[in-house]
Parts: sequence; structure tokens; C-alpha cells
Amino acid sequence: MEYAVPLLGFGGALFGIVFWMFDVQIDVRISMLGCVLASWVLAYLAWIRPRKDIVALTTPIYSFIFLGFPLDTFSVVVLEVLYAASLTILLVRLKYRFGAPSAPVPDKKELAEPLNSYVKKTGDALLSTGPEPAHSAAVVFVRFAEGEFLAAARGAESAIAHLSDASAPRALQCAFAIVKEQAERYDKSFLQPDTFRVFPPEDASVLAKIPDPKFGKPEEYDAALENALLLLFAGAWNMSEKDHPHLLKCQAFAQKLLVP
Amino acid sequence: MKIGNVDVKVSIVAIAVFVFFTIFLLIASVYSPVIRSQLIWLIPVLFMLLVIPMALNYMSRSQYTGMEPIYEAEAKTVRVKLINENMIGKPVRIEGVVERVYFQFLNRPQYLVADRSGAISVKMFTTPAEDVKVNDVVEVLGQVIHRYMVTG
Repeated sequence: MEYAVPLLGFGGALFGIVFWMFDVQIDVRISMLGCVLASWVLAYLAWIRPRKDIVALTTPIYSFIFLGFPLDTFSVVVLEVLYAASLTILLVRLKYRFGAPSAPVPDKKELAEPLNSYVKKTGDALLSTGPEPAHSAAVVFVRFAEGEFLAAARGAESAIAHLSDASAPRALQCAFAIVKEQAERYDKSFLQPDTFRVFPPEDASVLAKIPDPKFGKPEEYDAALENALLLLFAGAWNMSEKDHPHLLKCQAFAQKLLVP
Repeated sequence: MKIGNVDVKVSIVAIAVFVFFTIFLLIASVYSPVIRSQLIWLIPVLFMLLVIPMALNYMSRSQYTGMEPIYEAEAKTVRVKLINENMIGKPVRIEGVVERVYFQFLNRPQYLVADRSGAISVKMFTTPAEDVKVNDVVEVLGQVIHRYMVTG
């Protein structure tokens, strides 16, 4: 669709040049329609991007203001060429300065990628999670996302007290423990400790981010929490359907955690 | 200029507007007797161009000063990555490096502050107590808000 902007703009101008050169007895402003359409396409391209470019968005208004006034044929042709060139420059600027169009908004009942793939990947490993631990995982994740660190720590503590190997896999138990430890510290604004809980190497298959051996302590600390939160999200999503609406509200946070 | 405990700063834009209209008024009053007869109210209006921004700055600065202890007590220290839409309204503290500074000339500066987990936009609705520059290490106390931006 991006090619439509220069094609329509310069295409319209080309018609204008032909009308002018061969003295075609037709209102030359018909050729302006190309520029008008090119403006609308540019505005649409600006609209679908997450960052809105007000210049590109308002080009349809300019197209009517600048091209809607009666002018002689030569002036119309010059104006069309300059306007088509301006639209093309704005298109290039839009592409490089305002980034790619936003990803399609996921259905409000579905998880977007790559979170969806991660949740599916952990499905089998978290199959033994009971409904209660899954619900607790949802509560802890949502509380943490809301910045209610103390409530998240208390929720994780309570879940740990009721967990057993029969009701939740080891990795999920470890996730609760990590979130409890770090949420307590966030609540008190404590600095990162020298020693802290991390996932054992055998849990690597269910983690969203494989710890890099080159990681320093701070990165390892952060990665442990992010993996723990994502595992709680996955456990809750897979095994507690009633919590889906609450988890969907925090989906953007989970997606953010997945970003390296 | 200090009023009470508050260090009031007038933006360069307000000063430029004041200087522009002062010069304009001076020239106009030399050439026009009509303007000269109106100086009795034009001069106070001219000074209002400085007084109003100063009063607004004083009010916003004193409000920020008053809220600082509350934020100090309530804000949780978090990493930038943990800040999300579900935390809107929550007081937070972040520590990071200033990567960019915008709109300082308007007395409504905006900073891009980054820590090891990511970067976030920090908007102040008044002037900071100190002049903050790129690469400064800062501690930010504030409330998570949702901002809508249109750029061009």
C-alpha cells in the first residue's frame, strides 16, 4: 500500500502534464484526484501506526486546501508535481521515523504472539497444576503487575504453604518462591541481595528466557523474576480458565517481560 | 528568584515574549500618540506577561516540593521494565541515566530515563530543582500515568 502514495501522486501529476502538453479540453483539476487519493492513503498509513504522525494525518486537509482552488493549467501541474514529491518525502519520513504499522490487535479473548507460543510450550509441563495453585498463580501475577508487591508476596507465600508435588510441578513452586522473595524486596525498596533464588538448570525447558552464562548478577536476578512471573502467567492461563479475563488485562505486561 | 523556599524560574519563552512586546511597545509608543495614551494599562499588561508565568511556576514548584515527602514515603523502587499500564496511579521510584531531554525551554521538561531493563519517558509539569542534562544519573519519584502523544 505504501507504493500507492507515489504512484497515485505522480500518476495524477502525469495526467495533468499530458492534459497540459496536448491541450486536452478537460478540466485539469480532475488529475488532482490522484494527489487527493495519495493523501488519504498516506493518512491511513499514519493512522495504523502506534505512533501517530500529525503531519501525515492532516495531508488530506492540505490536499483540498492547496489543490481545491481554481488555478491555470500550468500552475496546477507544477503544484501537483511538488505535492506528489512532498507526499513521497512524508511517506519516507513516516516509514523511518514512525516505525512499522502496529501488529494487529489480538482478540480480547486470545493471547498475542509470542506470549501465546510460550504459554502453549509450557502446557504439558504444567499439566499437573491443580485449579487452586493455578488460581493463586493468577492472583500473584495480577497483583505484581499492579505494583501491589506486598499483596503479591503474601499471595505467593500462602500458595507455597498449600503446594505439594502432587498439586503443582516443581518449576511452578520455584516460581512462587522467587516471586515471593523479590516482591518482598520490591515492597521495601531493598537493593538486590548478594544471594538470591534462581531456577535450577533442570527447569530450563519451561523458562521463557534461558539464562545466559555471561549474565552478571543483576541480569540474573532480573531474569529469575521475569521467568517466574511468566511461568505463573502460563500456569494460570493453562489451568485456570476463570482467571482469563484478569490475565488478559495484564497481557501487555507479560508481553513486555518476554522482550529480551 | 527565590520566594520562600521555592526557587522560581521563568522559562526562556516567557522572557522572549516579554522582551518582544516591550520592544514592540517602545517603538509603537514613539510613533503613535494613540499608543502613548494607552500606556497606563499597556505597561501593567506587559508585566503580567512575566508575572503570570512566575506565579504559575511558583505554584507548581511549591506543590512539587510539598509532595516530595509523600512520594519519598510511598514510592516503591522498581525497574523500568516492571512499570506497566496496570500500575497507573501508583507512586514509583526509578534510578537511571538521562538519555534525552526535551522541552526544557518551556519549563515542562520531559526526559528519557533508562536503566538496565529499558527506558521510560518522564514528564515534569514544572522545572526541576537542578538543571538536568543528558548522561546525568537521576532518581525519579513520580506517579505512573498514561500519556497520549501526537507528533509531527
